[in-house]
Amino acid sequence: MTEAQPAGVHTVDALLEVDGISKRFAGIQALGGDRGLTVDIGRGAFVGLIGPNGAGKSTMFNLLSGVLPADSGTVIFDGKDITTATSHERAEHGIGRTFQTPRTFESLTVLENVVVGATSPGEQLRSAFGRSWRRHEAGLVDHARDILGQVGLADREAEPVTDLSGGELRMLGVARQLIRRPTLLLLDEPTAGVHPLLQDRLAELLVELHSGGMTLVVVEHNLHFLLAIAEHILVLTQGRLLAQGPPADIRGDPAVISAYLGEDHAA
Amino acid sequence: MNWPQLLITVATIGSIFGVVTLALNLQYARGGMINFGIVAYFAVGAYTYAIFTQPSPKGLDQYAFGLDWPWWAGVLAAGTAALAFAALTGWPTLRLRGEYLALTTFAFAEVFHSFLLNERRIGNGTVGLSNVERPFGDWGPIEEKYVFAAVAALLLLATLLAFRQLLASPYGRALDAIRDDEVAAESSGKPAANMRRQVFLISAVPVGLAGAVYAMFTTLAQPSLFTAEVTFIVWIALVLGGERSVYGAMLGAFGLVFFEEVVRAWPFETVRSAQIAASVEHIFTGLLFIAVLRFQPFDRIQRRMKART
Ligand SMILES: Nc1ncnc2c1ncn2[C@@H]1O[C@H](COP(=O)(O)OP(=O)(O)O)[C@@H](O)[C@H]1O
Ligand SMILES: [Mg+2]
Repeated sequence: MTEAQPAGVHTVDALLEVDGISKRFAGIQALGGDRGLTVDIGRGAFVGLIGPNGAGKSTMFNLLSGVLPADSGTVIFDGKDITTATSHERAEHGIGRTFQTPRTFESLTVLENVVVGATSPGEQLRSAFGRSWRRHEAGLVDHARDILGQVGLADREAEPVTDLSGGELRMLGVARQLIRRPTLLLLDEPTAGVHPLLQDRLAELLVELHSGGMTLVVVEHNLHFLLAIAEHILVLTQGRLLAQGPPADIRGDPAVISAYLGEDHAA
Repeated sequence: MNWPQLLITVATIGSIFGVVTLALNLQYARGGMINFGIVAYFAVGAYTYAIFTQPSPKGLDQYAFGLDWPWWAGVLAAGTAALAFAALTGWPTLRLRGEYLALTTFAFAEVFHSFLLNERRIGNGTVGLSNVERPFGDWGPIEEKYVFAAVAALLLLATLLAFRQLLASPYGRALDAIRDDEVAAESSGKPAANMRRQVFLISAVPVGLAGAVYAMFTTLAQPSLFTAEVTFIVWIALVLGGERSVYGAMLGAFGLVFFEEVVRAWPFETVRSAQIAASVEHIFTGLLFIAVLRFQPFDRIQRRMKART
């Protein structure tokens, strides 16, 4: 459990195979340690990613989603090598993600912020000048309303996003990814600043998505939230995988307690 | 002061510049691209129209190409040439953003301008191409000047409708998303660089067509007509009219052209007072520009209207 570089979860069917990825910022190793980070995410898994601030969790998401290029390593997703794929290509392949600091489109309404997450036929230049996209659009709007209901923003659809609180913006980011129906969803601290009642709702939603077959990787500082719903935990410290296993094992792991839990609990 | 004549001129020139302002509005307000070389695409349209429709050279003409094609072929060629020029200039520049893009597009336009000045076989150097003929003439009882105003207004209307259709579609929504937050838009599957390139290319087409109409109207394609001043006038029109709305952009173009034409046509008593008026015009435009930037009246109006609905 405590070796620095475990081989990863060798499930029968890995959805995501990460092999030796690393990232430096201005010479400082943010992710990957000396040999790079190697880990597999099984198809349909519900993975919790934890670790102290600066451990490299968000950097890992940035590399997986193509927001930043990796310095080394390869990434195989759903059998395809996506190492050099751009961010939008990875999204098209089925990787969805949210951001630790919520990102929104300020000139769009709450509803539009969700609808825009989907790939509409009217986004092709040729069809944009026609009318055929309108039929598809109605379906998208209905779908977006459903999702807004699921994340507790049903009655806010017409508002500008500037009216939403930090927690609501976070939920909006989740909603925008859900309309894409990603195969793999990466959530970066989804509960931060979110109302406790809504947190429970989010937990239910994630469990539901998981049983629907979606593969989830969730970064969370709220261990109470995460350990209750995730099936497999990855512990990252200083860019390296410190431990991984089921939540029960992680809770009792002395190395994890001193490196991570200790920080929160002892303080 | 001949007001009817003045208004017709404003309608014609205003429509032509309105088209260019609309293109800039699409590129900047929706695509997030600063094009400080827009005059070059306008010039490409005008020169292409001239080259395709003018007679082959004779006598003192130094230009080498005159295809003598009908006017509509010249118009089509102008749009195509502007598109090709946008593809050519967009390829190296669109990797750049913000002020870097502004500087490179500006530099491109300056290079093109100096090419026009110095290349005799294509554009006849500083003299330009002056064998352009007006294609329409009077249409029955309708005088030629009205025909021209109608043609220019029609081009403006067509551009407006096409852009509106585009921006009201999911394509426009994706563009807005990319401009607001490119990283988040990419993470939602929007190919930002690709869409920006498309916007850059398609917005060049009406600018080329406007250049063709301008060449017909002035019967001239000359480097002095296509200086950086044109770029700045169109930018000022865009900012004056409120960059957020297509109607504002058009209004800005008409307002500015009207103002310039009034100053030009005003029956001044002396040459001196005409000179003073010309410089006061520039100062006034500059002050207006600063005031609009400072107080952003159009954005306020729009926000108030939005809040009410
Ligand atoms: N864009 C960036 N530029 C420079 N340094 C960065 C950048 N992103 C992350 N870092 C650094 O990389 C390390 C890992 O950061 P991050 O992945 O955000 O950690 P976590 O999400 O686990 O808190 C930190 O030391 C952070 O300061
Ligand atoms: Mg983080």
